[in-house]
Amino acid sequence: MKRDLISMHDLKAEDIQVYLDTAARVETISLKDRFQLLQGKIMASLFFEASTRTRLSFEAAMYRLGGNVIGFAEQTATSVSKGESFSDTIHTVESYSDVIVIRHPKEGTSRHAAQISYLPVINAGDGTNQHPTQTLLDLYTIIKNFKKIEGLRIAFVGDLKYSRTVHSLLQALIKFRVNEFMLVSPESLRLPEYLKRVKTDFPVTFVETKNLEDAIPYADIIYMTRIQRERFPDQIEYEKVKDAFCLNAGMLKNAPEQLKVLHPLPRVNEIAPDVDETPHAEYFRQAKNGLIMRQAILLNVFEVKI
Amino acid sequence: MSDKKIQMIPKIRSGIVIDHIPAGDGVHILEILERDPALKNVPITFGMNYQSNKLGAKDMLKIKKDDLCERTIQHISLVSPGVTIKRIRNFEVVEKVSVQPPKEIVNLLRCLNPGCITQNEPGLKTRFILTDPRNNLVTCVYCEREFSIHELSPII
Repeated sequence: MKRDLISMHDLKAEDIQVYLDTAARVETISLKDRFQLLQGKIMASLFFEASTRTRLSFEAAMYRLGGNVIGFAEQTATSVSKGESFSDTIHTVESYSDVIVIRHPKEGTSRHAAQISYLPVINAGDGTNQHPTQTLLDLYTIIKNFKKIEGLRIAFVGDLKYSRTVHSLLQALIKFRVNEFMLVSPESLRLPEYLKRVKTDFPVTFVETKNLEDAIPYADIIYMTRIQRERFPDQIEYEKVKDAFCLNAGMLKNAPEQLKVLHPLPRVNEIAPDVDETPHAEYFRQAKNGLIMRQAILLNVFEVKI
Repeated sequence: MSDKKIQMIPKIRSGIVIDHIPAGDGVHILEILERDPALKNVPITFGMNYQSNKLGAKDMLKIKKDDLCERTIQHISLVSPGVTIKRIRNFEVVEKVSVQPPKEIVNLLRCLNPGCITQNEPGLKTRFILTDPRNNLVTCVYCEREFSIHELSPII
């Protein structure tokens, strides 16, 4: 059976652990040895929506493992812009490659691709729904910093309504029995109710606030997100909330020593550049971990043991 | 059935009776029957607000046709789970089933999320999982949003 990576819904904690363990092992293998692992394999990188980190780190991961990459970085460069259906695009691409990585603005597109293709499909972000590879690298970053996940206190900040990284990570953390979250957002960008209706054998508490400073003494991790202009149906609503939160070094002056600030990037104004110099800034290392985790994901998809 | 009910909805010699419909749901079932092309020109009798020991008040439908297609029955099970469908022959009940929604609901309901791929890819069948039968909640397999069955429009 092919191995797809579509949604955190599909993974149990032990499945996630396999990815985390593989990533840790990838770091121990020399670049020269890594280069032998996926020789002759081709990854189709289908980005129907703009991306910097996810696309480049996936492509770099494939090259690091000795494989090759075909694909596109925007929809306008494809036959989809000529009216070709998504299904036809997938059926065409599958005859040229061994794995398909998809980012698409519509929710459920990767699931659909996985159902119609005989190749493994990796979801690199589907609309506002899921971003499982980002979640795996977020978890890897958390494990590297704290050596555990259960028991940590996490504050999500910013756009909790449209942010797929928040939706995916929240679900994954609950699988690791994290049971308390602080949600910091403007009223119009609150976490959707359906994501709060978790089905667990332990109670999960959500503390909601509009004040970013509440999160600083509370959290082990502050997970900042960008207010995403492209997700707003009404641009006036975007203008109202675009600068709702800005974390700066001054606010972190009395922060607990262990506090780490994560961000899936790109950032706009929500983290001031002066935070970069503090020991709390973890987001650039987080982005770097993306390259490691995406190598681990590709190795798992191809069932290459290391 | 009491004499009074017999007067209001006469017995049928042969056909289908949909019974034990919670009062108010009958109209929604009637809407489904109206959309079924196989029931065009078929006589249908609809009764509302009958006294019921089990439900307090119930609606009832009688259809002068020997059977209903599977798809229509599935739609009825979504709109009003637990109703009884009886097959009548020579004024006698020959078969009686209580309908329950399927665990996986394929191409019966339209996803409400405008960003869902099922709203954007021609020919793609919708799929929902019945995640909370007690509260009639379903989750779209594609966009993973949860909805109440009643807020989703049927695909007929």
